[in-house]
Amino acid sequence: MTSTTAASTVRPQRAVTAGKAAHSGARPTLVRRGAVNLVLLLIASCYLVPLLWLVLAAFNSTAGPAVTWPDRWTFDNFRAVLTPEITFRPMLNGLILCGGATIVTMVCAVLAAYPLSRYRSRMKRPFLLTVLFMTGLPITAIMVPVYGLFVQVDLIDTFTGTILFMATTALPISIWLSKNFMDAVPIELEEAAWTDGASPMQALRRIVLPLMWPGIAVVALYTFIGLWGNFFVPFVLLLSNDNLPASVSIYTFFSQYAQVVYGQLAAYSMLYSLPAVLLYLILSRRLSGAFTFGGAVKG
Amino acid sequence: MTLEKPVQRGTGRRARALAMLAVAGLVITACSSGGGGSSGDTSTVTVTYQQFGGSHVQEQFLTGVKAEFEKANPGVTINLQPITASENDYYTKLQLQMRTPKTSPDVVYEDTFLINSDIEAGYLRPLDDQLNSWPEWNQFTSTAKGAARALDGKTYGVPDGTDTRAIWFNKEIFAKAGLPADWQPKTWDDLLTTARTIKAKVPGVIPFNIYAGKGLGEATSMQGFEMLLYGTGSTLYDNNAKKWVIGSKGFTDSLQFLKTVYDEKLGPTPQQVLDPNWNNNVSQQLTPKGQVAISVDGSWVSHNWLPGDANPWPQWNTVMGNAAMPTQEGQAPGKVSMSGGWTWAIPKNAGNPDKAWEFIKLISDRQHQLKWDIDNVQIPVRPDVSGDPTYTAANPTNEFFSSLVPITTYRPAYALYPRVSNEIQVATESVITGTADVATAAKTFDDQVRSIAGDAVMTAAGS
Amino acid sequence: MSSLAVGSRSSGTARRNAASVTLLRGMPLAPAVVLLAVFLVGPILYCVYSAFTDMALTGSAGSDFVGLDNFTRAFSSADFRQSVYYTVIFTVVSAIIGQNVLGMVLALLMRAGNRAVRAVVSAIVIGAWVLPEVVTGYLWVAFFGTDGSLNHMLTAIGLSPQNILFSTPILAVSIANIWRGTAFSMLVYSAALSEVPKEIEEAAIVDGAGTWRKLLSVTLPMVRRSIATNLMLITLQTLSVFGLIWTMTKGGPSNKSTTLPVFAYQQAFQFSQLGYGTALALVLLLIGAIFSLIYLRALRLGDDPS
Repeated sequence: MTSTTAASTVRPQRAVTAGKAAHSGARPTLVRRGAVNLVLLLIASCYLVPLLWLVLAAFNSTAGPAVTWPDRWTFDNFRAVLTPEITFRPMLNGLILCGGATIVTMVCAVLAAYPLSRYRSRMKRPFLLTVLFMTGLPITAIMVPVYGLFVQVDLIDTFTGTILFMATTALPISIWLSKNFMDAVPIELEEAAWTDGASPMQALRRIVLPLMWPGIAVVALYTFIGLWGNFFVPFVLLLSNDNLPASVSIYTFFSQYAQVVYGQLAAYSMLYSLPAVLLYLILSRRLSGAFTFGGAVKG
Repeated sequence: MTLEKPVQRGTGRRARALAMLAVAGLVITACSSGGGGSSGDTSTVTVTYQQFGGSHVQEQFLTGVKAEFEKANPGVTINLQPITASENDYYTKLQLQMRTPKTSPDVVYEDTFLINSDIEAGYLRPLDDQLNSWPEWNQFTSTAKGAARALDGKTYGVPDGTDTRAIWFNKEIFAKAGLPADWQPKTWDDLLTTARTIKAKVPGVIPFNIYAGKGLGEATSMQGFEMLLYGTGSTLYDNNAKKWVIGSKGFTDSLQFLKTVYDEKLGPTPQQVLDPNWNNNVSQQLTPKGQVAISVDGSWVSHNWLPGDANPWPQWNTVMGNAAMPTQEGQAPGKVSMSGGWTWAIPKNAGNPDKAWEFIKLISDRQHQLKWDIDNVQIPVRPDVSGDPTYTAANPTNEFFSSLVPITTYRPAYALYPRVSNEIQVATESVITGTADVATAAKTFDDQVRSIAGDAVMTAAGS
Repeated sequence: MSSLAVGSRSSGTARRNAASVTLLRGMPLAPAVVLLAVFLVGPILYCVYSAFTDMALTGSAGSDFVGLDNFTRAFSSADFRQSVYYTVIFTVVSAIIGQNVLGMVLALLMRAGNRAVRAVVSAIVIGAWVLPEVVTGYLWVAFFGTDGSLNHMLTAIGLSPQNILFSTPILAVSIANIWRGTAFSMLVYSAALSEVPKEIEEAAIVDGAGTWRKLLSVTLPMVRRSIATNLMLITLQTLSVFGLIWTMTKGGPSNKSTTLPVFAYQQAFQFSQLGYGTALALVLLLIGAIFSLIYLRALRLGDDPS
């Protein structure tokens, strides 16, 4: 991984010159361009069918498992699941838990990424390797000792504890990604700031962070999506039903009604996916235009 | 992508970063809620049970009992804390909670299927002293008293009812096939013959639904395989020797029966029955639609068709008939049934065991068990409840399923049972999908049980 | 030893070694390290210990040290070997081949595609990525089911209906995982490709290289670091996929989609054998480590040795 970072200095300017190249490249003929577009749309339509089902079934009073145009468009499915017990309270809990955990993760990951990206140390490689291996850890496997730990330190059934634990489970991959995004930010800019007397933290805040917003957005989105879908961790760590987030309620909703009320399932799925989709929309707007996460993810 | 010039917007960014940190801090401090459990607080009794499926019968029932109890015991609060999860996850969480006094509930709802495991793990406290001084305990049938008695001879739970299993059949389909409405098969062959008749005369329906495969879990073991095995004279567990039984002829015969049903396409397709939701699909969808002729299932199935439940079906009572499951060759007692059921128990780590016991006494008295057994379509474990005219009048099938109680069998629900049961499901699955023949599947089962139970295994006599 | 900003070795000599400097510089790591140490390392160590015991969630009180029993039991169990097999299949098919290749194809095509088409395609692909795992699972169960969209389409064009959830469930969950995860690879590769200087590619064309030749000998080698890094990340993520498989198939039928995380979950929580379950999870970690070391090695080999 030391070699990984070294590479960023070989072409220090590339992060800045990035994205521009995206749609120029070699100039294909009109025919070729048409073929490319066709293939793209073909792939996209394969992607679309399951998504289409979600939307159509949610508004269909007689939805089945296959994509069909609703005989009659209706909000009944939404009305049926939009109750405090099924939707509102779990969604709010989920937003507090996953939002809180995402913020904690991002703050810790970006802070940790800075020294990992900017300084050399004997400890760095083993540390990064450990962090990397941790990303493959199946969290369900460690929940029993975690429950014991939470009882010991009195964090069981608290949002604080659950937020901290959820944040921690997302940390390894977030640190790793953030460090890689930060490597793409050329160090020369900071050096200028240092000569002006700025501290490393000031340099991080004023120079590095603004340059790596796209990267941060990717990591935040990645973290939030992962946490938003996590069933087992909140299920084990939160005891009172009033505290449980949407990931738990949708899971039980699914297993109770699977293959019975497709329309409601689809409606609930849409509602449940909404925060993640909204977060994506907000973040992608920040990135000025369609998917310019660019320049950031790299080895 | 064009990057914005960073430095000029620095202050805005900084402010935002600070705000972000502040929010993080706020969220963390603001959202700490109180710890769960009931440690040391004798004014609260936490009651934990499983809340799953569309039905709210138990929730409503317990809410009623809570109000009564709180009225009779001023200053005591009943904290109903259901775990909304499938059975597996329910147990995982319950066991974790019971491990420590800080989070242990005071009253827990335990399936007889797993209570022995929790007893051996030391999670529950024996109730013998309390039971001995509780006159109503004598009102319970002796089988029910044994439902939560562990190998150490002590009793750890009070059952709130039981269930039995038998045959449901569709009289309209039977009429089309020229079969009688008061059908009662005497042997397995009778069953197969009837199923073949239906297959020939009424196309498009499932002639004979009997569960198999891993997807359905315990429904396969109990409603499917054990209903066969316990009608062969063989058994799964020898109570005298305290050993698991392998290599029995009854075992291979039962597998062979399933194979016949699935090979001749008398039952559902393997694809259907391996779907974890198949049993719900049968009872909630296919049966009301008249697509299942015969089905081996539980006494509770009509629950689905009552008004106010998932799939109201007012005509069910005239359409559906019941028959007892026959033994293999009609050997005495001529019919077979399996029983399970749930019990109320008190964890060892309960902070408020005395009030917990008071609660269990209230919920288990005649009047409450009567209400519960009617509401939840359960078979009573107290003769004074099953004999009550309001009980028999409440559901037309109550009398039939209660009549199976004298001949019913409880599972050997010891600590290893879940794993043995899983091997049963594996064996049935490999037979109905054709991945193994009967002998191989039985041999695999024997090997697996040997490795699960170690010394506590015996080979059936005569094999 | 620990000063020097990467790549500007000379400028680092100014602020030098004292241990306090190292400490100061390491300070930003503290919050992350504390969280990881308390909430992950502690429990993991406990799990490592319990993998050598017969610890159970229920069925017995207390636990005994059993040495390597759990591991020997695993390696002699056909179910375990089968789950390792399916884990590798799932990872290779859905991550290494599926997400990786499709992500690269999309990224390459996007470069040549229309602006509007690009926007539409990326919105759809990323839309699939941001959906929660459970939702994805159910979408695909509905899609592949007997009465699902797939069979409606197949019968519409005169083919016989399929049920791959039943016949080849591992393929069904792999397809769902490709659908869900490709966006990540696509984004990584789009970013990497946008950094390939177009002069170099154009030079290759001037030299007479065809499209494929240009791709294979110029473009891909230039983004090989991104490929290796991305492969490593998606491999590790895919190895531990649990929710998607659990919602879709619960590992069945006949265990034909039981990967190691599913197998470990069943052993630990369905059969309450915590010790055995955690031993299985450790094996999974080991497999992940082996994969990563291979990629890291490839990364280093592809680089100048400095």
